[in-house]
Amino acid sequence: MKRRRTAGLAAVSAVAALALAACGSSGSSSGPKTAPVTYNEATTQVVNPSNQKGGTLTFGLSNTPDSTDPGNTYYAFMWNTVRLYGMSLTTYKSCPGKCGTQVVPMLATSLGQVSDNGLIWTYHIQPNVKFEDGTTVTSQDVKYAVERTYARSVLPNGPSYFQVLLKDPTYPGPYTDRSKNEFGLTSVTTPNPTTIEFHLQHPFADFDYVVAIPQTVPVPPNKDTGANYQLHPISTGPFMFQSYTLNKQFTLVRNPYWNAATDPQVKQLPDKIVFNLNLNANDIDNRLLAGDLDVDQAGTGVQTAARAKILSSPTLKQNADDALSGFLWFAYLNTKVAPLNNVACRRAIEYAANKQTLQTAYGGPLVGGDIATTVMPPTIIGYQSFDLYKSLTEPNGDVTDAKAQLKLCGHPNGFSTNIAYRSDRPKEVLAAQALQQALSQVGIKANLQGYLSGKYYTNFAGSTAFVHSHDLGIDFGGWGADWPDGYGFLDEISNGNAIVTSGGNTNIEELNDPVVNADFAKAANLLNASQRNAIWTQIDHQIMSDAAILPIVYSKALLYRSPNLTNVYVHDYYGMYNYAVLGVKQ
Amino acid sequence: MPAPPEVITFLIRRLIATAFLLVVVSMITFAIFFLVPRLAGQSTYQLAVQYVGRNPQPAAVRQLEVKLGFNLPLPVQYWHFLSGIVVGAHYNDGPNKTYCPPPCFGYSFRNQQPVWPQMISDVPVTASLAAGAAVLWLIGGVSIGVLSALRRGSIFDRFSMGVALAGVSLPIFFTGLIALELFSYKWPIFPNVQFVPLTQNPYLWARNLVLPWVTLAFLYAALYARLTRAGMLETMSEDYIRTARAKGLKERTVIVKHGLRAALTPILTIFGMDLGLLLGGAVLTEVTFSLHGLGLFTIEAIGNADLPEIMGVVMLAAFFIVIANMIVDILYAVVDPRVRTG
Repeated sequence: MKRRRTAGLAAVSAVAALALAACGSSGSSSGPKTAPVTYNEATTQVVNPSNQKGGTLTFGLSNTPDSTDPGNTYYAFMWNTVRLYGMSLTTYKSCPGKCGTQVVPMLATSLGQVSDNGLIWTYHIQPNVKFEDGTTVTSQDVKYAVERTYARSVLPNGPSYFQVLLKDPTYPGPYTDRSKNEFGLTSVTTPNPTTIEFHLQHPFADFDYVVAIPQTVPVPPNKDTGANYQLHPISTGPFMFQSYTLNKQFTLVRNPYWNAATDPQVKQLPDKIVFNLNLNANDIDNRLLAGDLDVDQAGTGVQTAARAKILSSPTLKQNADDALSGFLWFAYLNTKVAPLNNVACRRAIEYAANKQTLQTAYGGPLVGGDIATTVMPPTIIGYQSFDLYKSLTEPNGDVTDAKAQLKLCGHPNGFSTNIAYRSDRPKEVLAAQALQQALSQVGIKANLQGYLSGKYYTNFAGSTAFVHSHDLGIDFGGWGADWPDGYGFLDEISNGNAIVTSGGNTNIEELNDPVVNADFAKAANLLNASQRNAIWTQIDHQIMSDAAILPIVYSKALLYRSPNLTNVYVHDYYGMYNYAVLGVKQ
Repeated sequence: MPAPPEVITFLIRRLIATAFLLVVVSMITFAIFFLVPRLAGQSTYQLAVQYVGRNPQPAAVRQLEVKLGFNLPLPVQYWHFLSGIVVGAHYNDGPNKTYCPPPCFGYSFRNQQPVWPQMISDVPVTASLAAGAAVLWLIGGVSIGVLSALRRGSIFDRFSMGVALAGVSLPIFFTGLIALELFSYKWPIFPNVQFVPLTQNPYLWARNLVLPWVTLAFLYAALYARLTRAGMLETMSEDYIRTARAKGLKERTVIVKHGLRAALTPILTIFGMDLGLLLGGAVLTEVTFSLHGLGLFTIEAIGNADLPEIMGVVMLAAFFIVIANMIVDILYAVVDPRVRTG
């Protein structure tokens, strides 16, 4: 799942904004007075619990959604937002803390029932859920929603788990198929209007997580407008689209056909929800502090200037939350680029890296994040803490052990390699410089190679040919889970099957470890969650033992919790406030 | 009274030149965005892979490659682009084909929408911003420039030129943020700045644009004040001004009719360029004040590497600049008698 970070636009005004931070009203009123609240309170409990209805909830976003079409989005904040107007088969429980990573039924009556051979997943959908026009949702509508995600030339943005997991991966999508009076996707069957079956190529125990992706939000075939569906997705949630001016603003109003009894994970509190898009990032922060906006939709935290204001003012700070985002900042250590194709050379980098300066580069412990020692962040199911390379005990780097590893890899005096990073991301630039500096202490000469983030994963670090031809041994990156267990986090960045040679590769370290691959295959067949979770820990340990990834920080974000909000808390799965239950004070 | 034939010929010649210039701009822009990547070794598959989401299936990339026309020879792609502007184009949006009427500037890879309707919906924002600011800076800048020139060396002259220097030196994203901090966040005289169409609510339209207008005009007024002052000082020392005074004309007539009129010619030239450029997108002002005009549209297009959007906005900006210059050429004759007689 992608997390958009504001870099370009924010950078333009960062200098001036910093100057303004000093003259800002640090002690000014930040909204209506309420019961005393505390810093970080919303990370563990519901702040301002209330079922009061009415008012307008206002979001601001410094860029635009990839799409508001549930079948065509891959951004974390949009998956959070979609729950306001769409019911996927399953979802994540609405509650603060670890409980938020629990997958629960939403449109379905229960989690999936899997056949004995693990190849058929069956869901029964609630019989009395209605679209915003009053028609009843059937299993055919869910099937159609899945079918249309195969039309990648029309809906290119969403994940491709169905194409990978289901039986007929070459299905062309309904726009091609149905025009020829074909019968649709054969790997999804609907024996009756409330039952849907998914036929898999191979067993896949995490399937309940796959159907929590908004791609299973039902779409009535006769209302599908393809690429234009984003302008008015037909709602099954508590709110429905009133208007949408593309890339500027969309407004949701109450859906009269929504029934709270069928959808307990969300609430219908405000009268109206307005999403203002493409605002200046610093302007969003200032409007939040001034009470003109209620939520920063991106959920990735305030900018530098607002951070300074918030942290220096007790009044503002009590309304802030330093939340784990579920995201990891790290560097891929490529296992195919010499001399890093030798594990000892990679381990030398793990030891030599100065974790403290790297952490500082990402913003320090408060807003950058905690020093990471594992690939899986703490919010992922299956996470277990371990520290193979003394990152916590010797955070400034262990030169002695690094040099010992260099001897083992046949380069006792060090070697040369290149570091790829995104040159338009200031934090990543600083991190690359910090790593270069630390590696030079043990004789490793790392040359910095900056690339623009827009094509980083398609043409540069994500292209194996480019990585090999440019000797990019170390490639900076970041990752968030598509779902909060080991598979959701680890598969695409460490499974040998995920290596894509034609561009868009996410296993950039090109790890193809038979042990790791076998563990993924084994876990796919295990329906017992605790057994699966033990395997995720093993995989994490194996990746670190392979030194294929240099973890840097478990990312944190300083969120500003508007005092106008009710029912506000950080949802552990999304790593931001739970948008599905928010209300506003009257 | 019908226009003289030479005026009509002049206009026709300028229009033909304008059309030719726009074709050249389109060729250069097309070459930069579509030919250069190919020359640099980028395959059409790599172009398409940017628009298919994460970890794409090869078949999906191929589908998009065909849909976006990357697989076609470059001259054919360019021809499709040009013909779309003239006759419109059809785009496959899934169940239907969407018709993009002329002038159709292509199909956005990222938004999955034709470029023209998106772009044109942003024009009122930029036009409102540019027009309001232009009025302010023209009146303010020229008046201050004239007064400074007439009171050369006075306290007013020194003070106003000092302020003008500050205006030219301070970037908009600084003055804009100061204006927002003071008048929107701290003392909410102009709270929640956002564009409201003139037709929807004229009061809110004006109120919400006051800060962007003043910020933008501050920069330009400063420049115009300095230019006007220099022009006036030069003009007022001309022989014909002395002659006009010797003939006993009123000082006001001498200044306005003989001095300012001649000094305005270079101001008009630069005004045409500035207004044309601004209509193509007042990027920094729009970003600072979160106004969804062509500037913000451009920033977003560049950020998303959305080549058709970038092409479209370049063409539109070029159109505005060329048209503004054409109008300026015509206005020359009105303002400066020397042009009429020459």
